Amino acid sequence: MIVVVLLVFGMLQLTPGDPVQAMVGQYPVPAEFREAIERHYHLNDPFLSRLWQYFANLAHGDLGFSFQMQRPVLGLILERAPRTLMLAASGFLLGIPIGMAVGVLSATSQNPHLDRFWTTTTLVAYAIPGFWLGQLLVILFAMQLGWFPTQGMAPLVSRASGFGWFLERARYLALPAITYAIYEATRVARLMRANVIETLGQGYIVTARAKGLSRPTIIRRHVLRNSSLPVVTIMGYAFGVAMGGAVLIETVFSWPGVGLLLIEAIRARDNQVVVGVVLFVSFAVILMNLIVDLLYCALDPRIRTGS
Amino acid sequence: MNQDIPGPSPTLTSRSEVASARPREALPTSALAVSALLSRLCRTHYGAAGLIILALLVLIGVTAPLLAPFDPTRQVGESLMPPSWTHVMGTDNIGRDLFSLVLYGTRASLAIGFCAALAALVIGGTIGTLAGYRRGLTEAVLMRLAELFQTLPVIIVVLFAIALFGSSFWLLIAAVALAIWPLEARLIYGQFINLREREFVAAAIVADLSTAHIVLREILPNALPPVIVQVALDASLAILIESGLGFLGLSDANMISWGQLLFAAQDFLNAAWWMSVFPGLAICIAIIGLNLLADGLNEVVNPRAVRAAIGLAA
Repeated sequence: MIVVVLLVFGMLQLTPGDPVQAMVGQYPVPAEFREAIERHYHLNDPFLSRLWQYFANLAHGDLGFSFQMQRPVLGLILERAPRTLMLAASGFLLGIPIGMAVGVLSATSQNPHLDRFWTTTTLVAYAIPGFWLGQLLVILFAMQLGWFPTQGMAPLVSRASGFGWFLERARYLALPAITYAIYEATRVARLMRANVIETLGQGYIVTARAKGLSRPTIIRRHVLRNSSLPVVTIMGYAFGVAMGGAVLIETVFSWPGVGLLLIEAIRARDNQVVVGVVLFVSFAVILMNLIVDLLYCALDPRIRTGS
Repeated sequence: MNQDIPGPSPTLTSRSEVASARPREALPTSALAVSALLSRLCRTHYGAAGLIILALLVLIGVTAPLLAPFDPTRQVGESLMPPSWTHVMGTDNIGRDLFSLVLYGTRASLAIGFCAALAALVIGGTIGTLAGYRRGLTEAVLMRLAELFQTLPVIIVVLFAIALFGSSFWLLIAAVALAIWPLEARLIYGQFINLREREFVAAAIVADLSTAHIVLREILPNALPPVIVQVALDASLAILIESGLGFLGLSDANMISWGQLLFAAQDFLNAAWWMSVFPGLAICIAIIGLNLLADGLNEVVNPRAVRAAIGLAA
């Protein structure tokens, strides 16, 4: 984590661009104003002292200050993180079971045409960029059919309350979540198919067959569990990544999450926010990897140590 | 002594003898070998399909000025015209012919895909080779660095680089290569760790060949087969990343690329579905082509795994 911070801070120092200019916009900056700002934010201190200051601030949970939005970076990110979490969670909850089902079906199917159909479908779906899929869904379901709103996560003025409020939000969530789910499902399906095929070749499957267990029982009791482990790893990592927001999907639907924040910050040359988001994402990924390791112990008795 | 049994033997002194002691799956580097690889590739369904798609795309990219009915940079009709016989894919918001734009877009996407994959191969290859052959401190530092980069999501690394350094054609390639080199590095590193303990390397060391010769002529050719598959995958990843950046409006503004066409389409989803559908289809075709090629290559260079998988699936 510390190394990530060092790397990020080092790259930041190499960059062109002037925060004072970015704050003022396309106007000349008065000299005394520039000086006051630079003094206030220690912009002209030597490199090492700024680096030290940065670490000290990080330790206090201070990710810096957005010159553009005139707000602390951490606040900006924390405000948006739950929205990204909601989108990612609904996408994963929808996508993973579908992907696993498709993967298992296609790998264990006795009918080669069915396997080929699913393999081709996932191959094509795998090649579709998520954001383009989003655009297509918007064109079809929001524009042509008018079932769902095109952008955002809530109407500007809302009078709904209780269950109505929930339904209203769900309509906004539907398209981005479906896009997300399809995207994750194809990845899970490909992985799952490969895993199941590998598991089917293991000795204990032959043993189970020799014991006289039926095919569905073997798949349910032996294959599923053993093939799911790699999926847990990949999905754990993917979920950490998702905390950075599926940047592209959030942009298509103007979903005001962390990913959109990153894009807005890049367009505004608001580097403190960019760095903040990058650090936030790497933290999320590291945290998720830790959780996956713990989950592994729960799922796989072989890894448990001690008793 | 039988030349098929490699081993550190004092009789193995000439280069030809050492060379013949290489394992048979070695990927020879001559033109003959490339054509042999291609013909084996064509015998796999996936590989042949991928190769045809890619060849067509390259052809389109090269001959775009001949194929395109209009100048893609000029206004040639009314804006937002739906597809018709004159404008097969319609026109965009400033009246440019979309078909010509998509044809020209092939150039940028393929160029970035191949250049970035190649750059990632060179960077990752060098680092993987150094770490795998030198071991010790070099190994520790370089591999930790690769892991560090792999912790960060690819798109975030690219966006970060773009945010800090801006985007032009070469910067884009550098940014994408920066994000995907660890994939190559770890693969080559793994290969080197395996191969350097093999007998033919020991034979080369005993034969007193130079380190450069051992690394470049003995180990590297044997390490390459799985790497080639990864290069095809990298190229498809690079094209996806570029189209994503284009879609965010962060790609090189002087370039016509499929992603940028989708960026323009985002504001006209209601008025002009064709602006989104056709460039997106082009991206899909390129990605499918590269993925098929990778599958085919995998089948060629790693036949045992595939055969085993097929046998069990049946």
